[in-house]
Amino acid sequence: MDELTAQIKDKLIEILNLTDVTPEDIDENAQLVGGELGIDSIDVLEMVVMVEKDYGVVINNKEIGEKVFSTLKNLVDFIRENSPEVS
Amino acid sequence: MSSKRPTIYVAGVGIVSPLGTGVDATLVALRNNSPAIAPLHVFSVQQQPPLPVGQVDIADVGSGLPRTHRLAIASAKQAMVGYDCIPDAVIVGSTTGGISRTEKLLAEKSQDATLYKYHGLGTVAEEIGKELHCTGELLSFSTACSSGTVAISMACKMLEAGDAEWVLAGGADSLCLLTYYGFHSLQLVDKKGSRPFDVSREGMSVAEGSAFLLLSTVKPEHSHGVVLGSGLTCDAHHAAAPHPEGTGAEHAMQKAMDDAGVTADDVDYINLHGTGTPENDLAESKAVRRLFDFPPPLSSIKGLSGHGLAASGAIEAVVSTICLENDFLPANGGCEEADPACGIVPLVTPVSQPVAAILSNSFGFGGNNACLLLADTEKESVQEEVDKAPLSIVGKACITGAGHTMDSLGRFFTLESMAGTLETKTVAEELPPRAIRRMKRFSQMALALAAAAQKDSGLEQSPHAVFMGSGWGALSETYDFLENLQDTNEQFPSPIDFVGSVHNSAAGQIAIHHGATGPNLTSSGGDYSFEQALLATEAFLGEKTRYNTAFLLAADESHSPLSPLLDVSSQLSGVAADGGGSFYLCRKAIPGKVSIRSCFYGCAGEKGIEEMIRSLGGREDIRNKCGMILAGIPAARTQVGEQQLDQFMQETDLDVPVIHYRKFTGEFSSASAVATVMAAQLLESGQIPAGKFVMVLGFGHTLTAMELALQ
Repeated sequence: MDELTAQIKDKLIEILNLTDVTPEDIDENAQLVGGELGIDSIDVLEMVVMVEKDYGVVINNKEIGEKVFSTLKNLVDFIRENSPEVS
Repeated sequence: MSSKRPTIYVAGVGIVSPLGTGVDATLVALRNNSPAIAPLHVFSVQQQPPLPVGQVDIADVGSGLPRTHRLAIASAKQAMVGYDCIPDAVIVGSTTGGISRTEKLLAEKSQDATLYKYHGLGTVAEEIGKELHCTGELLSFSTACSSGTVAISMACKMLEAGDAEWVLAGGADSLCLLTYYGFHSLQLVDKKGSRPFDVSREGMSVAEGSAFLLLSTVKPEHSHGVVLGSGLTCDAHHAAAPHPEGTGAEHAMQKAMDDAGVTADDVDYINLHGTGTPENDLAESKAVRRLFDFPPPLSSIKGLSGHGLAASGAIEAVVSTICLENDFLPANGGCEEADPACGIVPLVTPVSQPVAAILSNSFGFGGNNACLLLADTEKESVQEEVDKAPLSIVGKACITGAGHTMDSLGRFFTLESMAGTLETKTVAEELPPRAIRRMKRFSQMALALAAAAQKDSGLEQSPHAVFMGSGWGALSETYDFLENLQDTNEQFPSPIDFVGSVHNSAAGQIAIHHGATGPNLTSSGGDYSFEQALLATEAFLGEKTRYNTAFLLAADESHSPLSPLLDVSSQLSGVAADGGGSFYLCRKAIPGKVSIRSCFYGCAGEKGIEEMIRSLGGREDIRNKCGMILAGIPAARTQVGEQQLDQFMQETDLDVPVIHYRKFTGEFSSASAVATVMAAQLLESGQIPAGKFVMVLGFGHTLTAMELALQ
């Protein structure tokens, strides 16, 4: 697991208060929203805030949002491609 | 047995909204069909440009009251014009109370508790009560965007039951940082202004306003219409989003029509909730289409007025009376091309045509649905004799600093204090972590209380309805939202905290976890919130209806730094304490079970104690039946409370044990709910002489009396 992926997993567990989940439990390719973790639309909005606040990446378009949050891998890739703070 | 059902006349109306002040200005604005939505200017924000909102031109100086209170008083006074009478009760729906002032005080880091005195939602009703010299029930309901409609529905129930002849009911909310940024954080705000049912709609426009209806069973000289029926349901689906199929909304509309004794064919116009959010409008449309094969003319006025939140239902009820009186239907402002997915075509221009019956919809967070059926003339109808079956307690639970139910009660029975704050982890120890991951202390406590009351009942079936009280609601979420807003220059408000901050968030969660699709009410009247929730239970829980079982509970969380700033009693005690009590109730006589009844609720005026004694059956009756008194005197009202209790004891000449329950529970608003659990336990464990009742009395600026008895 690369550093950014590990970091984002930790952040998701923290902001979404997934106290019964460890980073290893999160499958990077599994469906993120509506999947086993029980993540829904409100969680997505909380993640949008985190992504903008911590990585300077704005997601304000529903279509892009749906794609970005479809899996953890897509989220990590999107941040990597768009964040001025991640090289 | 049946009897003629009393007609509920709209004797007076008052309205203050972005559309204007008063009925005449509102009608002109609706005829002009021009949106009153503009960039925010009533306070400054750091994130630019300001979003479009609906704001009211009302002076910020003068009375010293916060904006919500001033909006409320302005429309309440309008509704009373032409009447010398004093309403028997005032019922207010509000979500904001004095939060706009609290936001400023917190930003200034003010530690002066006296400045926070208008924070509580209940203070809005109290200030109207003072203004109108009302000494009856001053009640407050907070069910998010359905609050105003819920308040009107409660008024109708009280009038129908004959508990009152004149009730002033409505709603009020002012713009504030919490709602302005809260809905924005949920991406529910349309930057172009709200355009309900438009194919390209992107959300709502947060607004403010207030409206009140003077309702009466006495036929007034000039009636503005009649309220024929109301319907309350809960989606029990999601904390913020409506059920995608609109099933809860459909049931609320159907219930309102059934209650009114009308069919879909009788409805001439539907005033839609229509916020402009893609989800609401779609779900509401589906519900309308299932109920109406050929929907009548319909529109949402929120594209013109914005969404006045708790006030919106009352604003739209007043607008409905304007429509009935003027044979006028307003247009669905903002909608240029109706969304084909919705499958309904709202009015694009105002229409003049006869209208005799209107269905008005209000839906809110927590899946809270409330609908009214208003008509131009009375309708002969009969009603079943008023339900006399008792509310039986089949399960109960409490939480205090001493722990869960038996740990708390054990402490009480050894005459030790239970005051304190139980660790949140322990509060929620029986709840699945996934279920509570987005909840902070208040909601976790409420959910734990409901689950424990159900477990205690031994019943598998969950109750249908939820009636909850809380003096202060979700303090953690409210504080965290505002602190985070300030820390990030208003850039990164938390959507999760916003959703959790509404007063009815906990009751909504209880409904979701227990599948409770019946009425779902949250009252917030300071130290008397539990007693208000009991009044609502008595009003809405019927023996012969589908909804004959309910959770009745109250809870409050201790929060640092907010609790000592907001709750003077908490500050004076110097000991942080919180908790709550809950019941699983059935509306039927169950021999061997304890029943609970509200006997009195009113202001502590000159004759308060006298009236209280009369409501309890008079001196002789009280002496014959009372076995024990649990007295609640909030620390902030020690002197007056002690005097009231002395007067009560002297005038009744009672010689029974009197327990000052706050000495055991500690000082918090929902302490009376814990005391009521204590009372039930005393009766169940045979510690009260056979045939005797336990009275749970509340003193202070309000006087309350509840009676518990073994059946």
